[in-house]
Amino acid sequence: MSQPTAADIESLIELFNRSPWDEMHLKTDGFEIFLSNDAAASKPGAVVPSAVPATVPAPVGRASSGAAPQSAAGAPEVSIPAGMVAVRAPNLGTFYRAPKPGAPPYVEIGQQITAETEVCLIEVMKLFTPVRAGVAGTVRQLCASDGQMVEFEQVLVIVEPFA
Amino acid sequence: MTIRRTLVANRGEIAVRVIRAAHALGIETVQVVSAADRDSLAARLADRTVVIGPPASKQSYLDARLIVHAAKATGCDALHPGYGFLSERAELANLCDEQGIIFVGPRADAIGSLGDKLRAREIAHAAGVPLVPGTGQIAAVSAAHRAADEIGYPVLMKAAAGGGGRGMFVARDADAITASFDKASTEAREAFGDGTLYMERYVENARHVEVQVVGDGRGRVVHFGERDCSVQRRYQKVIEEAPCAAMADGLRADLHAAAIKLLASMKYLNAGTVEFLYDVNRQAVYFIEVNTRIQVEHPVSEQVTGFDLVQTQFRVAAGEAALPRQDQIKVARHAIECRINAEDAARNFMPSPGRITRWRPPAGAGIRVDSHCQDGYLVPPFYDSMIAKLIVTAADRPSAVERLRRALAEFEIDGLTTNLPLLRYIAAEPDFMANRIHTRWLEQSVLPAFQQS
Repeated sequence: MSQPTAADIESLIELFNRSPWDEMHLKTDGFEIFLSNDAAASKPGAVVPSAVPATVPAPVGRASSGAAPQSAAGAPEVSIPAGMVAVRAPNLGTFYRAPKPGAPPYVEIGQQITAETEVCLIEVMKLFTPVRAGVAGTVRQLCASDGQMVEFEQVLVIVEPFA
Repeated sequence: MTIRRTLVANRGEIAVRVIRAAHALGIETVQVVSAADRDSLAARLADRTVVIGPPASKQSYLDARLIVHAAKATGCDALHPGYGFLSERAELANLCDEQGIIFVGPRADAIGSLGDKLRAREIAHAAGVPLVPGTGQIAAVSAAHRAADEIGYPVLMKAAAGGGGRGMFVARDADAITASFDKASTEAREAFGDGTLYMERYVENARHVEVQVVGDGRGRVVHFGERDCSVQRRYQKVIEEAPCAAMADGLRADLHAAAIKLLASMKYLNAGTVEFLYDVNRQAVYFIEVNTRIQVEHPVSEQVTGFDLVQTQFRVAAGEAALPRQDQIKVARHAIECRINAEDAARNFMPSPGRITRWRPPAGAGIRVDSHCQDGYLVPPFYDSMIAKLIVTAADRPSAVERLRRALAEFEIDGLTTNLPLLRYIAAEPDFMANRIHTRWLEQSVLPAFQQS
């Protein structure tokens, strides 16, 4: 990696966001990047290991980092809090929270679910496909609204896995 | 009926080409991409880009329902299919019709009937267009033997449902038919879902010529001259030119008239290409097939006529009286296109995807490069290996060849293996410069020598 492209840097940030790491420091010839979940950290090694996990880690990524390059495509990336897992769209389609109009939603915030629990529907030209959580835990956030078009890999639901 | 916003249902250089044509007409663009193309040039040029699925074509660029859903959800009133992928699937045109989206291409029934090679031959025959002496479908080896006796060896067996050399073989005697018939039928079934074969006379000294046409859907069809695409490898075009400098004017007029007669008979809509085999020894042309899409090599016709064919596609799709009169379309000058592929000639033309570390295309008068590549671009391994088209234009063929040689020498691509060395070799061949080529010239005469060099 002699001259990283904007896409390379973005991939690194995404990798970091999805990882359980507190910080990442990468240095190669003529290039250095330092990513941290600690808002106060400004250089490698600034994060002091703590016995108490940070309650609300400062999100790193497109939304908060002005320097991060914008991808040419895709829905705005939702930052995933550390320790949480995102359920993502398997393809582009229309997002539905409930199996049919008027029916109760598949899941609510705070609900405990298994990996097999269906969390939403994705519709493509009247073909409805339920999306399973893929992880057991507690629903913490719903990131798409009913009837909205979502893109491939867009974050739909954020789940806090059981310890 | 006007087009306000179009979906671009393709990738690579043709997506870029379509976006530019649309923007020139004031049409907004929505680009659909797979996850592998998020940062592509097309994604950056389009007014909006949506990621529809994973890199695999089947779950992205080949999923018609997904693409039409994206078109509806983003408020598009038209859809341009480009070439390849779903461009010649009647299913996509039908879905667009159902959803009230203008398909920038022929009507679904024309795509369906012309896409079936046997049906296309029947239509051509009915319109009085000359065909290579051949047969209808052949079910068994014994029937193939009888047909070959009538037509005269050598014969060519072809798949009814598709092209690209799949299910195709040449037989010089009855034993050769016996040896290859079942294998070819199986290959055709696996590639196209239909193992039906048919037979044609095999022309020894053949050129591939094709006529670019556009129809207004109401019976008026005009042509934009012919192209000569005789430099081929395994039935894949490598270099395309316009016009066919080797053809006499009398035969050229017959060729154009045949193409127009064929498509006017079905009130053809939008751009299409009628392909012919040019039997140089007999000075005859035979109909091969119709491609119901804009083709890779359309720029050479644009260069020699001065018309923008993709813009013309949008105009006729919108129902405008957009077609020029035939006498307004004049072929002047000569254009040659080379397909630059990321492939390794030393390893049997294996695709060689990877990151382009240095991209220095040639430039200057008479040089056009249609490409989606730039410094640092990662050529993904999931799709076609074509990374650019180099098109040169000059007053006549000899000066176009000269310009081609200089442009190819100037082209620098680092980071992956390309066919540039082969293209440079071809452009310097005395037979190419003297235009003494035929459809098997590259494979028979050039490649063996090139691979030794």
